[in-house]
Amino acid sequence: MLNDLRFAFRLLLKNPAFTTVAVVAIALGIGANTAVLSLVNALLIRPLPYRAPARIVLMLEHFRAQHLDAIPVSAPEFVDYQTNCRSFDEMAVFQPGTFNFAGGDRPERIFGAVGSADLFNVLGVAPIRGRVFEPADCTAGHDDVLIISERLWRHRFNTDPQIIGSKIVANGRGFTIVGVMPASFEFPIPLFGIQGAQFGERADVWQPLAFTAQELKIRYSRGYAIIARLAQGASAKQTQAELDTVTAAMRRNYPDNYPKDDSFGITAFPLNEVVLGPMKPLLLILLAAVFLVLLIACANLTTMMLARAASREREMGIRVALGAGRWRLLRQVLLESVFLSLCGGIAGVLLGVWGLDLLKRIGTQTVPRLSEVNLDWHVLIATFVIAVGTGIVFGLVPGLVSGDPNLTETLKEGGRGLSSGARRNRLRQALVIAEVALALVLLASAGLLIKSFVQLQNVDAGFNPRNVLTMEISLPALTYTDNASQARFYNEAQKRIASIPGIKNAGFTNILPMSGTNSDSSFNIEGRTSDDKNPSPDEEFRRISPGFFEAMEISLLRGRPFRESDNADAPPVTIINAALAKRYWPNEDAIGKRISIGASAAKEKWATIIGIVGNVRHRGLDYDPLPEYYMPITQTPNNQAVLVVRSSQEAGGLISAIRTALHEIDPAQPIAHVRTLEQVVADSVAPRRLSIWLLGLFAAIALSLASIGIYGVMSFLVVQRTHELGVRMALGAQRRDILRLVVGHAAKLILAGTIIGLVFAFAFTRLLAAMLYHVSPHDLTTFGLVTVVLGAIALIASYIPTSRVIRADPMLALAHIA
Amino acid sequence: MIRLHNIERSYPLGRGQMFYVLRDIDLDIAAGDFVSVMGPSGAGKSTLLHILGMHDHGWTGEYFFDETAVHHLKSKERATLRNAQVGFVFQQYHLLDDLTVYENLDIPLSYRHYSKSERAALVADALDRFQIVGKKDLYPRQLSGGQQQLVGVARAIIASPKVLLADEPTGNLHSSQGEEIMELFRKLNEEGMTIVQVTHSEKNASYGKRIVQLRDGWIV
Repeated sequence: MLNDLRFAFRLLLKNPAFTTVAVVAIALGIGANTAVLSLVNALLIRPLPYRAPARIVLMLEHFRAQHLDAIPVSAPEFVDYQTNCRSFDEMAVFQPGTFNFAGGDRPERIFGAVGSADLFNVLGVAPIRGRVFEPADCTAGHDDVLIISERLWRHRFNTDPQIIGSKIVANGRGFTIVGVMPASFEFPIPLFGIQGAQFGERADVWQPLAFTAQELKIRYSRGYAIIARLAQGASAKQTQAELDTVTAAMRRNYPDNYPKDDSFGITAFPLNEVVLGPMKPLLLILLAAVFLVLLIACANLTTMMLARAASREREMGIRVALGAGRWRLLRQVLLESVFLSLCGGIAGVLLGVWGLDLLKRIGTQTVPRLSEVNLDWHVLIATFVIAVGTGIVFGLVPGLVSGDPNLTETLKEGGRGLSSGARRNRLRQALVIAEVALALVLLASAGLLIKSFVQLQNVDAGFNPRNVLTMEISLPALTYTDNASQARFYNEAQKRIASIPGIKNAGFTNILPMSGTNSDSSFNIEGRTSDDKNPSPDEEFRRISPGFFEAMEISLLRGRPFRESDNADAPPVTIINAALAKRYWPNEDAIGKRISIGASAAKEKWATIIGIVGNVRHRGLDYDPLPEYYMPITQTPNNQAVLVVRSSQEAGGLISAIRTALHEIDPAQPIAHVRTLEQVVADSVAPRRLSIWLLGLFAAIALSLASIGIYGVMSFLVVQRTHELGVRMALGAQRRDILRLVVGHAAKLILAGTIIGLVFAFAFTRLLAAMLYHVSPHDLTTFGLVTVVLGAIALIASYIPTSRVIRADPMLALAHIA
Repeated sequence: MIRLHNIERSYPLGRGQMFYVLRDIDLDIAAGDFVSVMGPSGAGKSTLLHILGMHDHGWTGEYFFDETAVHHLKSKERATLRNAQVGFVFQQYHLLDDLTVYENLDIPLSYRHYSKSERAALVADALDRFQIVGKKDLYPRQLSGGQQQLVGVARAIIASPKVLLADEPTGNLHSSQGEEIMELFRKLNEEGMTIVQVTHSEKNASYGKRIVQLRDGWIV
């Protein structure tokens, strides 16, 4: 075995060109597999960083009649579920929160969450320092404790060993740090995807949640998600039945708050499914793509090994004559191919590591959980198995062929051997056909995704993202205690920032389009009654300041925008978008009509519709615009807001001027998450863009490998036929005749591969349907284009070796003995 | 030791016609014999040698090797018999280019499941016996034709076969090198080795104890 290995190593060194091409082909195939396997391992296989995550569920309510499928719960509802459900060991509630940390060079806004006492017990993660929440922390006036992340402990507190018990000021309030969570802890995860939740960043701070007495009375104000741990042995069916019983009781006990029928309810979604589900189709498609790349690499290497087997027939014949059995020769060839494959595998792993680094650099900020992707021992073992398997696959056929030489023919003087055997040529040609077919499947898939992405880029978002800067602001409740103080801040800030030279418009919104956040609210329409069959409408709801539409360049279709005079003392006003106008006033003018939100009928405050604006694709470029209504932030204040600034040129240089303007109003007020609106839009399609990059890259690798394969086989066939071609030329064949003969032969193979590839591509691209935007999975233009591109490249690959022969002296060709 | 009866080797020509390379060969070779097979090109000499060496399986007739009916053996059994009993010397030496002299001598032993120490001892013995110790780390391309054939013969007999088959062993050598190889064959034969050689050379044939003439596939 050692001798065989030594011989294999010597052979590879002796043929550096062969070795290099083979190692590169394997490295590309295995590198792509390593990278995607790492993604699959981290995002699909590796459990969430909680104890027994399979038993953790996320519970969200639905009001089906109002098309609300997964919305948070209110405080009294949570108390109902917690009190009446027996299917859970622990249940907790949480909502995202922001914390303005005072001190240091400048105030800093840190993302976090507010959670009830059992939150960490549900997740089953212990702190590395201090403690988690206790029930006493979750009572009014005692919630002034914080748990921080290991990352924040490191960055902001220099890993201070005395951190537990430290006092800090956040949101204008004093807090005591009581715990530090481990570095691996992440909660909430961006992919929780709860409507209205801001999960754009990783959480570094957790505060206990103490419901106020007022909060515990209001059933319609829903801002909390429930996370719970199922009791051991509790089935999904049994759990859902219990939840249905609780919601039925709510409907009976609070008829003003719920419909009578079962269109209201709550569902327990397995956390694994919520977090991993959306990623699954894309990852499986990528996995299939890299598998195809590996298959192409294998086909390529098999053709190369077959060509080499032909040149080694004499050696194999001698070995058989000296006593080598068929298995022994097969072992020899397999050892060589596996050795080669392992070399390529090592290069592939390095390539995969580099690719993952690149991937993380590109996508960590925008693709959830990408930062967790790494190359662990599971992936390394899988890669090792793939490398060995690859070596066996591409070595097997050449090994079997080599193990059965015709000794009489091979060993006799001047024997030509069997390299010209028709059987082997057929095999080589079949491999070329397979390579072309597989490459076409990948090219067609990548082509469809690219076309889809281009379509998406040309979609009108409803606003103009150029030269717009956005940043988030959070007004602490202790400093801005009432609506008036918040309104004063927004008015003053808007005026000061709008007057900065270079800034054209500035405005605030509580929800920025395409930022991953959202909010909705139900409302009543004056003169229209609601009941179980016709419930109150519930549509997308935003709070904005004057200047927002101008800053976003959202077109005002009718009426007027908000003004500073639309304050808390003025009559309530609202602006709706065209979609909402069309849905509720399809045949009449909506201007002047009145709606009311969020109050009981007795206290209804009617807001007059003063304007209609254009539709905005809020959820993303690939989502149709939804009905939206806007109210002035000064009439419906909100302590979280996003500042939107439009400048006459590139906006990045204005950040310090904006920060100064805000600090002149409130020196303790930090700004966070500063991004251009173009970046926000780009981030909203980041996972899609990443998938296109990856699939495009794999398709390019597939195309290169297929081209190399075709080039290699055609070179081999041409060399085999050099003597024959020389005779033909000596007998009067013109160069174009020879070209037609050889390239025509290649064209037939390419055509066969293309036809088979198109059939497979038609089947494969159906899987992409959900990822395509306004492009059919069988888009003929794309299929036609990729077929032409592949065909052209394949023909060039076959032309090059042929042209070399026809340029040569026919006498040299005649002298050549294949 | 070797008995061939009614051996025929043919290739199909299409339309049910056959081309016969060997016809009705009857041949007995006793242990310790030294047979020279002669004949013009295309007479079937090499084919006969490859049948004797059990490289060729497409023949008909009866072939007994030490009373073992080769014609009844399966392919794998023939390979086992060949490995145990037959050594081969080729006109073109057929040394493996990428192995050193030492490794070329070692390789037939490695195919015969000798232990590492046994192989080392046998190779050292062969190197010494053929006086090529100084060349053990050289590659075939670094040797003269005569030296290569010397290694070829050493390799053929290293596993102690009973029969040595040689296909034009001096065909690629100049006369003095050829004589050396033939003297070596004579010596091996005197030591008891049965040898069958194919040759065009009357002089080389004279080193043998008898000559078998082939013409158009027939023994004449």
